[in-house]
Amino acid sequence: MTGVLARSAESVVGALRRFFVADRVAARDGLLQRRDPRASLLTVAGLALAAMLTRTLGVLALLAGATLALAWLSAVPSRRLLARSAPVPLASALVVLPQAALRPGTSLVAAGGFAITDAGVAYVALFTLRVWVGVALLSILVMTTRFGALVAAMRALRVPVVLVWVVAVTYRYLFLFFDELRRLVLARNSRTTDSGGVGDGWRDARHLAGTFLLRTLDRGERVGRGMRARGGARPPSPFERSRRLDAGDGALLAVAAVAVVGAGVMRWLP
Amino acid sequence: MIDARGLTHRYPDGTEAISGVDLSIDAGERVAVVGANGSGKSTLGLALGGLIDPTAGTVEYFGETTDAEAVRERLGVLLQDPEDYLFNPTVREDVEYGPAQLGLDREATDRRVERIAAALGLEDLLDRPPFRLSGGEKQRAAVASVLSFAPDALLLDEPLGAVDARYRERILDLLADHDGATVVFTPSTDLAPVVADRVVVVARDGSIAADGPAREVLTDRALLDAHGLVPPVAVRLFEEIDDDPPLTVEAARRRLADDSR
Repeated sequence: MTGVLARSAESVVGALRRFFVADRVAARDGLLQRRDPRASLLTVAGLALAAMLTRTLGVLALLAGATLALAWLSAVPSRRLLARSAPVPLASALVVLPQAALRPGTSLVAAGGFAITDAGVAYVALFTLRVWVGVALLSILVMTTRFGALVAAMRALRVPVVLVWVVAVTYRYLFLFFDELRRLVLARNSRTTDSGGVGDGWRDARHLAGTFLLRTLDRGERVGRGMRARGGARPPSPFERSRRLDAGDGALLAVAAVAVVGAGVMRWLP
Repeated sequence: MIDARGLTHRYPDGTEAISGVDLSIDAGERVAVVGANGSGKSTLGLALGGLIDPTAGTVEYFGETTDAEAVRERLGVLLQDPEDYLFNPTVREDVEYGPAQLGLDREATDRRVERIAAALGLEDLLDRPPFRLSGGEKQRAAVASVLSFAPDALLLDEPLGAVDARYRERILDLLADHDGATVVFTPSTDLAPVVADRVVVVARDGSIAADGPAREVLTDRALLDAHGLVPPVAVRLFEEIDDDPPLTVEAARRRLADDSR
């Protein structure tokens, strides 16, 4: 019990905190940190939309390059960016990997009755790179912009209140959810020994699952009260105030607009 | 200011945590609600603060409404566990959360937050995530979060739980400076006379067993015994030698000093 599950809980909580808490990178001087949060949000959304629209590997590679450049200009450590953004696309790649053999096209390698096709490889590469660009852009945004500023930007951009609410509440509850798991595991470990094997660990984990659900619901209720006690029943309205958009913000938005229009034109025009 | 009538709350498992509570808190009053563990103090605080729906009874706020949400900016409720109160990425955002949500003026809030943060030693913690704080620091941040929007009525559930002696005094000073009503829910009969001049005793069945001046309630050993409480330390020290024992350690210290002269 004190082995795999405890370490997993700790590492998941740690990873989540590292992913979402932008207390260090957001304080650095960088391109996105200097920009109005509205401009940052729209730029990232625009580049992500362009990545979703394009079906050309070359264009997607260009967008991936732009993403890396954005990270570099925003003082986001490349190793941290890769560590945060790599797991999701790698998992996605595993899911779509069979497409490399299922897609009709010119055979590149054939073995055991299966043939890896050029179209299949291109599809897997396109899909994986597209996911990476999306996750990396999201990582850059949350690392360079404080959460309160992001929520304020969403409100300023007239994003539907319900959506902002969902984002704000999900963000807050995500930590609490895993924090509750960590606390539960710590409490359990403080009264158990490490003598059991993996099987015992998973048996204990099954027993913990029900308790965890109840505790999470209870904690969720209590935190909900904590929010309501300070006006949480009203739409999210953080103090962050967006300043007037300046030329730098405009230039950034123009880049994003060109990316979206370019990707759209290449996709739909013959 | 806050007027509860026949307030009852039953949890889904059938436990009746509070039962037929009638309680009025007037402007400027300082009230301590004391009771043994599990007597329903916290539930009473949540019901008075409009954070749980009573099974029966009503709470009227400021003589205007029974809807707590309509007067949320005038009603400060601090929950027992600071972990439930701090859910923002940084302490600053948590302290500003209430004023921002309640649409208060930013500059006035900044000044107030600066003053409270200085008083509670939070200046260097403002940009840190709450989950990286110690228990006492979390408690101070939670207290700052409820004081930051300067509500007319404060309902504080064990506000000094994990706080060390130095900051305990500072929190008490801030509470003493509060002009509106203050209600502190605590199992400690030692804290009660420090923060309040009126004491309400909650019985184990969730009803109100006594409600009166702090001196009258906290020197009634039979009453306190019957509800799982003991008189304050100062009262216990002096009750057999003095018909009018001091209620607080500080008052006892002063009396001993006077007597020794």
